[in-house]
Amino acid sequence: MVKFTADELRRIMDYKHNIRNMSVIAHVDHGKSTLTDSLVAAAGIIAQEVAGDVRMTDTRADEAERGITIKSTGISLYYEMSDESLKSYKGERNGNEYLINLIDSPGHVDFSSEVTAALRITDGALVVVDCVEGVCVQTETVLRQALGERIRPVLTVNKMDRCFLELQVDGEEAYQTFQRVIENANVIMATYEDPLLGDVQVYPEKGTVAFSAGLHGWAFTLTNFAKMYASKFGVDESKMMERLWGENFFDPATKKWTTKNTGSATCKRGFVQFCYEPIKQVINTCMNDQKDKLWPMLTKLGCSLKSEEKDLMGKPLMKRVMQTWLPASSALLEMMIFHLPSPSTAQRYRVENLYEGPLDDQYANAIRNCDPEGPLMLYVSKMIPANDKGRFFAFGRVFAGKVSTGLKVRIMGPNYVPGEKKDLYVKSVQRTVIWMGKRQETVEDVPCGNTVAMVGLDQFITKNATLTNEKEVDAHPIRAMKFSVSPVVRVAVQCKVASDLPKLVEGLKRLAKSDPMVVCTIEESGEHIVAGAGELHLEICLKDLQDDFMGGAEIIKSDPVVSFRETVLERSCRTVMSKSPNKHNRLYMEARPLEDGLAEAIDEGTIGPRDDPKNRSKILSEQYGWDKDLAKKIWCFGPETTGPNMVVDMCKGVQYLNEIKDSVVAGFQWASKEGALSEENMRGICFEVCDVVLHTDAIHRGGGQIIPTARRVFYASQLTAKPRLLEPVYMVEIQAPEQALGGIYSVLNQKRGHVFEELQRPGTPLYNIKAYLPVIESFGFSSQLRAATSGQAFPQCVFDHWDMMSSDPLEAGSQAATLVTDIRKRKGLKEQMTPLSEFEDKL
Amino acid sequence: MDFESNYDIAATSDFIRTHNFTRVALQFPDDLLKDSTRVVAVLRKRLQSLRESDITVSGEETEIGLYVMADTAYGSCCVDEVGASHINADCVIHYGHTCFSPTTALPAFFVFGKASIGIADCVESMSQYALTNSKPIMVLFGLEYAHSTQQIRKELLESSTCKSDLKSEVHFADVPSPYMFPSKDMKKLSGIQEEACGCGNNSSSDEANGIIYNIGGLTWKLPEGQSMEDYSLFWIGQDNSAFANVVLTFNACEIVRYDATKNQMVTDLSQQRRILKRRYYLVERAKDANIVGILVGTLGVAGYLHIINQMMELITAAGKKAYTLVMGKPNPAKLANFPECDVFLYVSCAQTALLDSKEYLAPVITPFEATIAFNRGSQWTGAYVMGFGDLINLPQVQAGNQEEARFSFIRGGYVEDFENQAENVEEEREDLALANATEKALQLRDNCNTLIKGDAKSGAEFFANRTYQGLNMPEENTTPQPFVTGRKGRAAVYEDENNKH
Repeated sequence: MVKFTADELRRIMDYKHNIRNMSVIAHVDHGKSTLTDSLVAAAGIIAQEVAGDVRMTDTRADEAERGITIKSTGISLYYEMSDESLKSYKGERNGNEYLINLIDSPGHVDFSSEVTAALRITDGALVVVDCVEGVCVQTETVLRQALGERIRPVLTVNKMDRCFLELQVDGEEAYQTFQRVIENANVIMATYEDPLLGDVQVYPEKGTVAFSAGLHGWAFTLTNFAKMYASKFGVDESKMMERLWGENFFDPATKKWTTKNTGSATCKRGFVQFCYEPIKQVINTCMNDQKDKLWPMLTKLGCSLKSEEKDLMGKPLMKRVMQTWLPASSALLEMMIFHLPSPSTAQRYRVENLYEGPLDDQYANAIRNCDPEGPLMLYVSKMIPANDKGRFFAFGRVFAGKVSTGLKVRIMGPNYVPGEKKDLYVKSVQRTVIWMGKRQETVEDVPCGNTVAMVGLDQFITKNATLTNEKEVDAHPIRAMKFSVSPVVRVAVQCKVASDLPKLVEGLKRLAKSDPMVVCTIEESGEHIVAGAGELHLEICLKDLQDDFMGGAEIIKSDPVVSFRETVLERSCRTVMSKSPNKHNRLYMEARPLEDGLAEAIDEGTIGPRDDPKNRSKILSEQYGWDKDLAKKIWCFGPETTGPNMVVDMCKGVQYLNEIKDSVVAGFQWASKEGALSEENMRGICFEVCDVVLHTDAIHRGGGQIIPTARRVFYASQLTAKPRLLEPVYMVEIQAPEQALGGIYSVLNQKRGHVFEELQRPGTPLYNIKAYLPVIESFGFSSQLRAATSGQAFPQCVFDHWDMMSSDPLEAGSQAATLVTDIRKRKGLKEQMTPLSEFEDKL
Repeated sequence: MDFESNYDIAATSDFIRTHNFTRVALQFPDDLLKDSTRVVAVLRKRLQSLRESDITVSGEETEIGLYVMADTAYGSCCVDEVGASHINADCVIHYGHTCFSPTTALPAFFVFGKASIGIADCVESMSQYALTNSKPIMVLFGLEYAHSTQQIRKELLESSTCKSDLKSEVHFADVPSPYMFPSKDMKKLSGIQEEACGCGNNSSSDEANGIIYNIGGLTWKLPEGQSMEDYSLFWIGQDNSAFANVVLTFNACEIVRYDATKNQMVTDLSQQRRILKRRYYLVERAKDANIVGILVGTLGVAGYLHIINQMMELITAAGKKAYTLVMGKPNPAKLANFPECDVFLYVSCAQTALLDSKEYLAPVITPFEATIAFNRGSQWTGAYVMGFGDLINLPQVQAGNQEEARFSFIRGGYVEDFENQAENVEEEREDLALANATEKALQLRDNCNTLIKGDAKSGAEFFANRTYQGLNMPEENTTPQPFVTGRKGRAAVYEDENNKH
């Protein structure tokens, strides 16, 4: 039974005030997909009875199998509100019908990029938090991301059923737990105060927090109960709501409200008295099959069961009763409609985040006003594999204008620069589609404020792009997404049968498209590399590659490989010199480590080649103690001209120096990409050009003489400055009960990890452990951990920082030296490092 | 070994006599240069004696001029025809390792030299290998071992008759006649090659019902219906460029090498296999290039001009810019003088073309690799071609799916070549073009180092982006200056400089 048709959906798409674009975000296993099911059920796509079991948005076989969400899935829901419930809605609206474009996202850190892609195209977020486990690392990460994108959050405290059935906690204790969860979330949100977005913290008494049990399909906000009691007590609904949360106590004996517990036995907190206890009572009666007590209770609550449902027993009965009394969909949808912004509201303040161009041009205005008549502005945030093997839907959000079947669009890729023709295509949209879970419906056009999937553009979009009308040549693209994870784990893949190579190439191309984070590249040695955020992520990617994108052709994958960085520990022990091949030019140089935090600042873009030199020198002198004049003499950054290494000119009065700058820079880009130790990227090295002696004839100091010499002298100065390797380190968060701690510590110790924070979650037997773990040791970590703790601990790893390995790679037999040899062997280089004497020359 | 037989004096003098050459260039590689005077002396004596025995027949005879050529401009494996024509030579005698590339103008005679080899040990290894291998074995060898193949074959036959349990048959490649005459007609080139000489891997079916393979001077014939994949290769000789060439060309075969100097078998050839993968990477790199430098690495190998033109067309058709550079043997310092080139295309004989460009600023690829890289839609299938003749005859790949943008594995995303993009984007209206041009002219150039490889589309653009733009013209004082005497001396120290270096 489907309650709505594509035509109906299409009609509401025009009412921009009646649309809500929202994503469901949470830590892994806090019940996003399950909760989403209840909403989908309300829209009539799946039967109410099975809601919670189907996981409509887990469309892939492996998602269902593992019980985790891997890809974010969009679903458009149609929902009609009653007049009565909309009575208190103050905002603009257009009838009672609402369209909810909902995106269910994965909770595992390895797939955070999917969350990022989902957040970009939504305006609001439903943050799901497990009432027992509380706010976890991934909750925090996604919340941060959401607020960074100016997405308004509402919260639901989920898995309420655990309180009643599993833990059987009493009302006051439960209240304290909920209160803490909400407080924790608010602490994170408070750090993102944003004048445009206003107060983003959530308050149960304002209706922005719901309490839900996704598995059983029920949920409530305080509004539900306030409505119920308002008439009974004869007070205002909003006043009642305030009384239902916080320090408000009611004593049924005296029938008085107080702000302090009076100490009398019957005095209870409002929330406990009027919300928690009634639910507990209903659940208990159902579970104990006390039907004679149940029916009158239900009549009092104003809900009735169908006759066949009355025969249910125990849990099914409880589920049915609760679903009828407090249906999850109405509570949650009401919360979304009331408290999440419509596209027209949200785009007013989000335009600054979104649009790269000037904020007063027609495109910015069209986005700001969510103008369906304006120029098309559409952001494609991800590519979704279509049933038709090898093809993809481009999935995104229309921010302005309308996209329609057959429309010719201008595709601006991530490398597009306005005014140039790089990364730019003009193609027509073959079909516009709206997404409804496992089903897709074709529609004629989609106006702004909605999510949309398009057919026929996949051959021009790798991962994301901005689309606009063909003629809008001066439009700037929408800002690229910033991911919170980075692809640090890599495997080399090759095909078993050499002649399958074209298949592999084609497969990798598609894999790169299907996932926002995965990177498919090729190594110098000719190996194809797939890089992902973590072991699980890679595993899924490789499975997709082999089964879906290569038609089952077999591939061989190498062990996971981690990329390292090369850095230096100290300033070079002496000024090194290299002579050009013709012996007529000499370059003198020293290397030294960059100041603490400077490499990170360059990574983040606070300091970079495009800065105004004045600003840059200000930051460098104030924060990093650089000499003011010196800061102006930075020649370049590298590798790729933006990397965290630099060349600084320290020479005084050298003739022709400006002539060789370009050549030195070219040599630097080359050398910083392939360091002297193992040809890994350099990181955090500052090279100081101390002196230069050049030949008087321009022909003898050309690029051919200087570029290879510069490269050699960079290597020589790196080798004389105590070179070290940097390895990537994960921040691991593990949540486990006390008895599992021993196992966790021993596994972490084996793996060179170290714990830096251990906190007991107040009110629970659970511990929260944060540790640093070298990425190279992380392979097999989670399975080992599970084995050591009999499945009670589940780690979440996020790349955190680069850590210097203390051993000296130049000292034979040291750990770093072994690593260097391994890397060199893998890359097909000579196993012995090139000695310093090859790079340094004597006078 | 006997000096005269090592340098094939008898055959050489016969060759000169029978063709009546009067000016003969002797081309020596650097390592054999020390023997050159002796060779000339012995050869001259021999020719003298031949003439004396002949003089009774013809009566008059001119003196035969022998010239030693050293330090060739390109690889020493190719016949240096330009060098030879400086002395108006009418034939070239080539000593040492050769790639057997066909010549364009001059007849050539090749003296391979005769390296010593422990025949018994070699036969032993070979029969050992044959015992363990189920496929038939094709024996290939470095040309310096050509002299002993007859004997190896004989001894192997004897040993196999006494053991008689060799599972697989052993075939030997043949060495063609050591002389070569130029062929002028490119169309006929491949046909002639098969009969006279080999360059790269030519295969064709001929009347004798078989496929003839040619590589680096070796030829052999396979019966109808068999391909090289059905054979295992046994290589006798050094791990040199000729061997690399064989490994790349027959990369689907199992190959072992018998090192004759160390008398041992080398079965681990992972290093050689790596080369193929490395070449594959270079092709991917080349796909991203905007500016291609064509290095002319030969002036002798037949068909080189044709290839250069073909490559020029290919590169232009792919929307890239090509510059032709002639610079003798390339080295890192020379090529780094052209930092604007993203990739170099080295047109040279099959055996010098494979340059491991690790030390170079930009990779160096072969014409075959360029064909794969710059032909949209063509894919690396594993087949590898080294010679020009085969490249010319390579079937033109139909332009692939032009609809799809090109995926670059170097950058991990879609990139578009400028030419194709221009077609994609509708041309701007003319009145707008001027406005756009002015707008761009006023755009703030980010004056930070813009030497990012791969951004410039032509050499001119690259230079425009450099921070150093050359000397500034003095704005005042444009009156002619009196001339001054320039400097004298060597670049290392001019006469007016005091010797401080």
